[in-house]
Amino acid sequence: MESLLQHLDRFSELLAVSRTTHVRTWDPVTVRRALQWARYLRHIHRRFGRHGPIRTTLERRLHNQWRQEGGFGRGPVPGLANFQALGHCDVLLSLRLLENQALGDAARHYLVQQLFPGPGVPDADETLQESLARLARCGSAVHMLRFNGYRKNLNLQEDSLMKTQAELLLERLQEVGKAEAEGPARFLSSLWERLPQNNFLKVIAVALLQPPLSPRPQEESEPSIHKTPGEGSQALVHWLLGNSEVFAAFCRALPAGLLTSVTSRHPALSPVYLGLLTDWGQRLHYDLQEGIWVGTESQDVPWEELHNRFQSLCQAPPPLKDKVLTALEACKAQDGDFEVPGLSIWTDLLLALRSGAFRKRQVLGLSPGLSSV
Amino acid sequence: MAQDSVDLSCDYQFWMQKLSVWGQASTLETQQDTCLHLAQFQEFLRKMYEALKEMDSNTVFERFPTIDQLLAKACWNPFILAYDESQKILIWCLCCLINKEPQNSRQSKLNSWIQGVLSHILSALRFDKEVALFTQGLGYAPVDYYHGLLKNMVLSLASELRENHLNGFNTQRRMTPERLASLSRVCVPLITLPDVDPLVEALLVCHGHEPQEILQPEFFEAVNEAILLKKISLPMSAVVCLWLRHLPSLEKAMLHLFEKLISSERNCLRRIECFIKDSSLPQAACHPAIFRVVDEMFRCALLETDGAPEIIATIQVFTQCFVEALGKENKQLRFALKTYFPYTSPSLAMVLLQDPQDVPREHWLQTLKLISELLREAAEDQTHGSRRGPLESWFLFIHFGGWAEMVAEQLLRSAAEPPAALLWLLAFYYSPHDGRQQRAQTMVQVEAVLGRLLAMSGSSSLSARDLHTAAGQGTETDPRAPAQQLARRLLLHFVLWAPGGHTIARDAIALMAHTAEITHEIIGFLDQTLYRWDRLGIESPRSGKLARELLKELRTQV
Repeated sequence: MESLLQHLDRFSELLAVSRTTHVRTWDPVTVRRALQWARYLRHIHRRFGRHGPIRTTLERRLHNQWRQEGGFGRGPVPGLANFQALGHCDVLLSLRLLENQALGDAARHYLVQQLFPGPGVPDADETLQESLARLARCGSAVHMLRFNGYRKNLNLQEDSLMKTQAELLLERLQEVGKAEAEGPARFLSSLWERLPQNNFLKVIAVALLQPPLSPRPQEESEPSIHKTPGEGSQALVHWLLGNSEVFAAFCRALPAGLLTSVTSRHPALSPVYLGLLTDWGQRLHYDLQEGIWVGTESQDVPWEELHNRFQSLCQAPPPLKDKVLTALEACKAQDGDFEVPGLSIWTDLLLALRSGAFRKRQVLGLSPGLSSV
Repeated sequence: MAQDSVDLSCDYQFWMQKLSVWGQASTLETQQDTCLHLAQFQEFLRKMYEALKEMDSNTVFERFPTIDQLLAKACWNPFILAYDESQKILIWCLCCLINKEPQNSRQSKLNSWIQGVLSHILSALRFDKEVALFTQGLGYAPVDYYHGLLKNMVLSLASELRENHLNGFNTQRRMTPERLASLSRVCVPLITLPDVDPLVEALLVCHGHEPQEILQPEFFEAVNEAILLKKISLPMSAVVCLWLRHLPSLEKAMLHLFEKLISSERNCLRRIECFIKDSSLPQAACHPAIFRVVDEMFRCALLETDGAPEIIATIQVFTQCFVEALGKENKQLRFALKTYFPYTSPSLAMVLLQDPQDVPREHWLQTLKLISELLREAAEDQTHGSRRGPLESWFLFIHFGGWAEMVAEQLLRSAAEPPAALLWLLAFYYSPHDGRQQRAQTMVQVEAVLGRLLAMSGSSSLSARDLHTAAGQGTETDPRAPAQQLARRLLLHFVLWAPGGHTIARDAIALMAHTAEITHEIIGFLDQTLYRWDRLGIESPRSGKLARELLKELRTQV
């Protein structure tokens, strides 16, 4: 076992180096050895995929390495971050070496020969060649589907690109959570600083709406390896709740409907969301001349958007809907419980919501009786 | 070898031109043309590789100065990269161009360039900057997630198609015909990639709301090809949709079956049954439109071969598989019999479709009589414009081997006076063209033969020659005449069943089989009889053993 772990360590180093200019010193022998190690680890993955204890040990080792390299908050994620990655570590290594300009001519020539030996050559690592061919083929498939059939789904949670990113995020969070209890929060914060924020927020929303992660086919036989699915979502919720500026950006950037779905699914978020909306509302004042509610600064949320969000929330199923209405009524009462428009934004909002609901019932042909608003 | 090399040069020019026209295959025309040529281009690539691998880099460029352009153009066409093994062969070709020890800067540059192209082929996941940054930020490389991404895209497209199919009225969410057509083109190179199966299935099953066919014919052809070569596995519903939407595919599937049957061993019904079941055509034929096309093709084959017994046997096995498949269908979704046999009276169709297995043995005779009556009525229907008549009736009857082949046996096995209905049926089966008088004559002859054979059945010492004469053989009539065929049948049945038959079986056959054709006929008869006995369980151990031995011996003779 110990030699296996050492192997793992050395290969991880190798993988890290394969991206750097250090490979300039590599000769064909080094390349051969690297590929052999990769092949060996892939074999280990196949052999022990269903063997709980060995898997866990290997994975723990990988996570330790990750932690040592700067923990889950700093630095890039290492190439081998989990047991799963061992299944294609040879492809990972091969691609890194192929793309590395610093690799010498002799080493490169040897590498290419090993990767693509041609048809029916004995002793060649056929599986690696097939894996690479399949990668190329599927990549082309994705490219063609993307540019010839794909249409961005307005329902973000069903968009396949968003879904895939969300699945990856949840997977990572689950792993990091297994490795270290505080890991996910630090990891997410580091991502927030490094990655394009708009996309990140959308991915978080989609991730929060995913159905619970189902175990991957290879891992089906060992359910004990996974903790309950949904861990990733929980980590996200905790992190959002603990980072008010992120959450504010989250609520600002995303469309009303999406936020309503997220808040319905994760009730812990609703008080904070409502709190934010209340804050935004209080920043607006009534412009007598124009007869509308306006903000003082340019970044204030305008009336329309506020109304939109509340409208969306009122269309959510209970208990969320009821919570929202209760909150609105409470704010209205605090302001003085006016019925006349123009004095309290909460009164006006409730009026607008009611009439909107009334109009909707008319259009749908429902009786104009007591609406629940 | 020299000729090969000349061919290669010609092909090279051809493909260079094609690739230049196709570019990145972004228009309808270029996509269609690329799809048509994918298989041939791959063949060309293989040939190129075989030639290139023998040369070193310099020689390659001497021989094919523009090879780098050719390969590059191919790499920029995603349809080519997505097809079968083309991406692999392209890579092999590119590797042949690498200079092991570059002597000058030009060669070094070439090596770098090749490396770039290789990276391009392998890093095919080129995305929005944001998505790429995100996945990298999480520490994932494309190899980690390409499979999940493809799956998500395929499932999302498939469910969009399904929604489009069901949501006729919501025009906002409809898929435009152009997009559907485009999707079907894009699937052509990907048909054999298992990840794309759900999309292929959805395209076949969900047919939107346009009155005319939107999907490209290349798509249907590619799917059909993959189905016939077993390179894709789709549920039956999808296959049926394919054959309903694209008639040439159904025809091709039938022709494929015919080819298999022709090239396989003659006269082995068990094997025929295997091929037929394997082709999925019997299940598909549960849909009447498909049944009618298949039946029509069988009819044509029969006409072209002048009623060859092998075709008749195939039709019988097919119908049997079809009836079995029909029985497994959901009762509520079943079509009326009339839709399969529109020119037949429902009562006749119903009787014929009964499996003899499901009818008690004592009632077989009765059933055959009924069949005879109804069939005679249809065959002798001279009303103007009627679609009935002798040939149609005969074509219908021959479908049902279970009954058709039973007639002779029933006649021989009963000691009572042969019922006229059965005599008629037998005569009709072997000679549908006969006029009334001719048939009546045949019936009389058959009755006489039966009488003589039955008289001999009691005797313990039979002679093959006596038997031969009793059956009316050995006269100067044409051995291929239907009456002679019929007589041979009766004789063979007798030999298998009569108590003394097994002793003279070989002699009797030797007397009969004076041409290869007749030997084949006898082999066919034995094979068919054993096959039938197996199904119905009416074999007696002695007859079965005899039949099997005879079959084996005769097979070695031809």
